[in-house]
Amino acid sequence: MRESVRMIVVLTLIAMISAGVLSSVYNFTNEIIQTNLASELESSIFTVLPQAVSVRTIHPGVSTLVEDDRSTLQETEGTVSIPVFEALDQAGMPIGYAFVSEHTGYNGTIKVLVGVETATETITAVKVLEHLETPGLGSRIESASFLHQFVGKSATDPLTLNRDIDNISGATVSAQAVVDAVRNGFPLAIKRYKEER
Amino acid sequence: MDRLIKDFLRGLWDENPVFRLLIGLCPTLAVTTSAVNGVAMGLATSFVLVCSSTIVSLLKKIIPGKVRIPSFIIIIATFVTIVDLSMNALLPDLHRVLGLFIPLIVVNCLVLGRSEAYASKMPVSWSIIDALGMGIGFTWALMLLGAIRELFGTGHVFGYLVLGDWFTPWQIMTLPPGAFITLGLLVGLINMITIYVHKLVRQQHKATN
Repeated sequence: MRESVRMIVVLTLIAMISAGVLSSVYNFTNEIIQTNLASELESSIFTVLPQAVSVRTIHPGVSTLVEDDRSTLQETEGTVSIPVFEALDQAGMPIGYAFVSEHTGYNGTIKVLVGVETATETITAVKVLEHLETPGLGSRIESASFLHQFVGKSATDPLTLNRDIDNISGATVSAQAVVDAVRNGFPLAIKRYKEER
Repeated sequence: MDRLIKDFLRGLWDENPVFRLLIGLCPTLAVTTSAVNGVAMGLATSFVLVCSSTIVSLLKKIIPGKVRIPSFIIIIATFVTIVDLSMNALLPDLHRVLGLFIPLIVVNCLVLGRSEAYASKMPVSWSIIDALGMGIGFTWALMLLGAIRELFGTGHVFGYLVLGDWFTPWQIMTLPPGAFITLGLLVGLINMITIYVHKLVRQQHKATN
């Protein structure tokens, strides 16, 4: 009897101390992690919309790039919401917007950032933010020759693998996932951008 | 003092966790696609190993035997989470590569194994020395494995170009099969060296007698 009480007390104490230590470490690091993620996303937006001078968040999305939150493309209250950011030029005039979309790839979720020019409603650039594809095969979705194919496409284009986007040999699943992420996200982003402005 | 040094050196060669004991192979095989990744994983594991061994050794009289495994796991998991969070905050680029494997340090049998077999029976200073030896042994093994795979898989070592343009990278080396092939060859090589050294020592022993 005495032994079992001791077991419970010791285990509880260890767990409590552990929880206390971890919550203080979390508080300390979380702020830095969030700033890192935000600045990383912001610099990515500047690479897909090179003319942009500043960025404004139109819609933060159900999840901004929080690591284990995989719910970006899920329906919330009847509407799908994905993160949309507006890019402004020097005069503060909107020149385009960028959205984050995602799709399951071969090895996990692939997250892409797509830049769109407002005047023509066409894609300026696509950047892969996160992926866990096979190095050397699926990781070629990051190559400029593949991603460059999206430039100039509009939401009315088919955006279909092997029709207007060339496949990557040996990495169909990964390439398909990027195409799907862009195609599925594009109309949602347009809608969201028009609604929130 | 002699035994302390011997215990420290044991982890580096005679009982090297990767090459001699063959434990903790999941992270070993998975992250050693480059030398930097290997070193980072080795250092992260060493940190967890030293910290958890210290705490386990300090608490060995307090923790009842029947709940020692859950207690050790909580202690180890705490340090792993600290490493995970701090690496994410301070070294985000590295964390993007290793992020998946850091939480797996909790179930690395090297860490639990040292707590159970060594730290829970020995004084604190001895446990720290043992953990340091094992950690450094693990780190150099991962660094060597990573460097070889990076060299043949990309032509670089630590990100610096070593083999010139004439070299066609062997893609297989950065893929999982490359990890198994390299590890197998290295374990064989280390065994050969060990056997050779033992033979030399024996011969010398005979000669002096």
